[in-house]
Amino acid sequence: MWFTSVYLKTLREARIAILGWGLGMGLLLYAVLSAYPALVETPQARASLVSLSSSFAWLAEPVAVDTPGGYATFKYGFTILIVALWPLLACSRLLRGEEERGTLDVLLSLPRGRRRVALEKLAAVWTALAGMGLIIGLLTFAGGNHVNADFGLGDSLLFGLNIVLVCGVFGSLALLISQFTQERSTAAGLTGGLLLVFIIIDMVHRIIPDTDWFSRLSPIYYYNLSKAIIPKYGVHPGALLVLLALNILLSGVALVLFERRDIGGTVAIPRWLRPPERASQPAYALPVNAWSLRSIYTRSLGMIIAPACWWTLGIAGFAAWMVVVVQQTEEKMATLYTSSPLLKGFLTKVGGGDINTNATILSALFILLPLLMMAFAVTQASRWSADEEDGLQELVLATPQSRLTVLLARFGALTTAVVIMSLLTLAATVLASTATGLKLDVGNLAAATLSIIPLGLLMAAFGYLFSGWLSTALDTGILSFLLVIWFFISFVGPELNMSDSTLRLSALYYYGTPLLHGLPLWNTLGVLAVAIVALILASARFVRKDIGR
Amino acid sequence: MTEMIEVNSLTKRYGNKRGINDVSFQVAEGEVFGFLGPNGAGKSTTIRLLMALLRANSGTASIAGLDVWQQSVEIKRLVGYLPGELALDPRLTGGQILEYFGHLRGGVDQAYLKQLIARLNFDPSRKSRQYSSGNKRKLGIIQAFMHRPRLLILDEPTSGLDPLHQQEFDRMLEEVRNAGCTVFLSSHILTEVEQTCNRVAIIREGQIVRVGLIEDLKDIKRHEITIIFAEPVSSEAFKGLTGVEKVDTLADGHTLHLSVQGPADAVVKAAAQYSVVSLNSHEPSLEDIFMHYYENDGQPVKEASHVVH
Repeated sequence: MWFTSVYLKTLREARIAILGWGLGMGLLLYAVLSAYPALVETPQARASLVSLSSSFAWLAEPVAVDTPGGYATFKYGFTILIVALWPLLACSRLLRGEEERGTLDVLLSLPRGRRRVALEKLAAVWTALAGMGLIIGLLTFAGGNHVNADFGLGDSLLFGLNIVLVCGVFGSLALLISQFTQERSTAAGLTGGLLLVFIIIDMVHRIIPDTDWFSRLSPIYYYNLSKAIIPKYGVHPGALLVLLALNILLSGVALVLFERRDIGGTVAIPRWLRPPERASQPAYALPVNAWSLRSIYTRSLGMIIAPACWWTLGIAGFAAWMVVVVQQTEEKMATLYTSSPLLKGFLTKVGGGDINTNATILSALFILLPLLMMAFAVTQASRWSADEEDGLQELVLATPQSRLTVLLARFGALTTAVVIMSLLTLAATVLASTATGLKLDVGNLAAATLSIIPLGLLMAAFGYLFSGWLSTALDTGILSFLLVIWFFISFVGPELNMSDSTLRLSALYYYGTPLLHGLPLWNTLGVLAVAIVALILASARFVRKDIGR
Repeated sequence: MTEMIEVNSLTKRYGNKRGINDVSFQVAEGEVFGFLGPNGAGKSTTIRLLMALLRANSGTASIAGLDVWQQSVEIKRLVGYLPGELALDPRLTGGQILEYFGHLRGGVDQAYLKQLIARLNFDPSRKSRQYSSGNKRKLGIIQAFMHRPRLLILDEPTSGLDPLHQQEFDRMLEEVRNAGCTVFLSSHILTEVEQTCNRVAIIREGQIVRVGLIEDLKDIKRHEITIIFAEPVSSEAFKGLTGVEKVDTLADGHTLHLSVQGPADAVVKAAAQYSVVSLNSHEPSLEDIFMHYYENDGQPVKEASHVVH
């Protein structure tokens, strides 16, 4: 049944993603809605919640946050857009990925037009997105029902539809960009970058008055105009139509370009945008002592530099920005913090203390740092696994290099990158605190930024270990699942009053609150020990396993 | 002559699927050894076991007296390897790939490398993803030859090369053979093996069915003899003669087509009793010998393409 058409075959490939992303994000909303009553038990607590949310208006527009729908909409403002990562990745490989593998040649040799093949594939992505939206909508409704929220099934489904439409825009954008790039990863990277840019553009009008016109350039702006599970607010039909139109326009242009270009080639870009062509002289074209080609370690480092730069920008930039934001809202936060026992409890659980307001809030935000570093490690572990699956290790292992050397050199390069990224994050936060005048304990700041290293290495070591038995897709899937579960336990767990033993199941637990309490030495050493054991097991497996595709 | 490769009862299983079973053969130093078999027969599995990319379930294999699994790093100093399916890092140019593998091998003679590049008319300045399959093959051949290895293990080396470059490759092979290099070459192109190899092993469904000199294999050849008589002759007169496997009478009744195993003496003597207009005999090519081994009840053996090989 699944192999009777291009549409069904593509849909089959998305079946796990539909359940994974749909259930993951849906359950997150369910948990947030379930936790809502505990946050508004007293009028004082309700007032604190409203006050706090207004302080974070730059992040998401606080509308009726003292209602279940309002709270969920605010709390997961743009976070829900994590789900956009799937269409972004799926659409960047939809055509370009098949071209890279050479499978599109075979597919297009069948008596089917290019347009039909592309449309069937796109329709499958849309069906998958609709499936995810449906699951998210149903779980939102279930969560709302659980706390007697004032929104119904129709509202929940419209909430899901809004997510589907905005995610579809980024999928369509990835599809369009992939017509101009030789590699799907470039298209995915560029679209991911644009997603971040659009999020920031949308934020501008909430920070700087009279800049609505600028934020309207971002699709996120139109996504945020609809708040379906806030009954008094509802959906904005015009915004939904804009998103729909963007989907049709971007996909349509992508399909037209695909129909007209060479398979395996790209859409011709204007001459002035093209990189200069180099005359090739076979005898002289051999590189001379390029540093990155001298060993497996340097080659691995060369491969990791570009993604590491982007991730460093994200991690160090986020950390520095948080320092600036906390300093700017210092007075307001201090008032809120002391006036709301519930808020104090909430921040203390995640932030880890009450020594001083700024550090506690910053500490709560800094727990995102290890999460980001671990996400980076997942991408690199996945690349290790993919290289073996693609046969790239075969020639390397035909040289007089032991398997252990190959694995350790690659892991060593990743370790180097992780350490440098953490040091740069430390430098960025120290600079930010110096520039803003925010007083932070430099030792604790160093602990907070450098203790993300073992967690990144732990994730990578797990990835290397799993790749000894599993395919890249399964390896990446399990690591991503672990990351989501740990995120859920560490971020939502305290709200759900999960027991300490449950919280300990998350690796993020062992990060602790170093900004307040310094380096949790034993926990850090424990994480490092587990990472080393995982790496030893991964090495033992790799030196004995069959290298295959 | 010492053995460069020694394989004894090597077995590799992929769960329930067939890999290779009880494979044994030797390759002497300085020899050019052909390894023949159809897709899925186990050629690549055997080669990947020799390269320690796979671990054998049982049996032993050694190269230059070194165990292929335990001493694989030492072995790889001696070996130049061209895999059957060449995967190259798409982010690197051909030149960068050659430099990288040159470094991993502890450095190569740059003059010799440039000579190889020139001989195969290879452009190393392009990204590997832009190469055609033929150019990828050239790159694979260059990286296998560039460090002047004592042993070349080549899995279907000319697949994708145009005839001009196939000839250049044959010349390169001849040169390294003259320099004392041992070559282990797998192929399903029989003429290639016939032209370049001293000895050959035929593998079928994971098992070696024959090892011998090219000439030895030809000893078991069948003669295909076509005789045109002046008058119609009954095929019965030739059936049952020593070596005659098959006799066909063509439509005109004057022409007989015979398949003869071994000496054709009996057939010639029987034909001499009639008025013969013409007698045509041709020796079987290695192709025919090959097909002989790969036929089951007259039906070619089905490809086991699902088997990892």
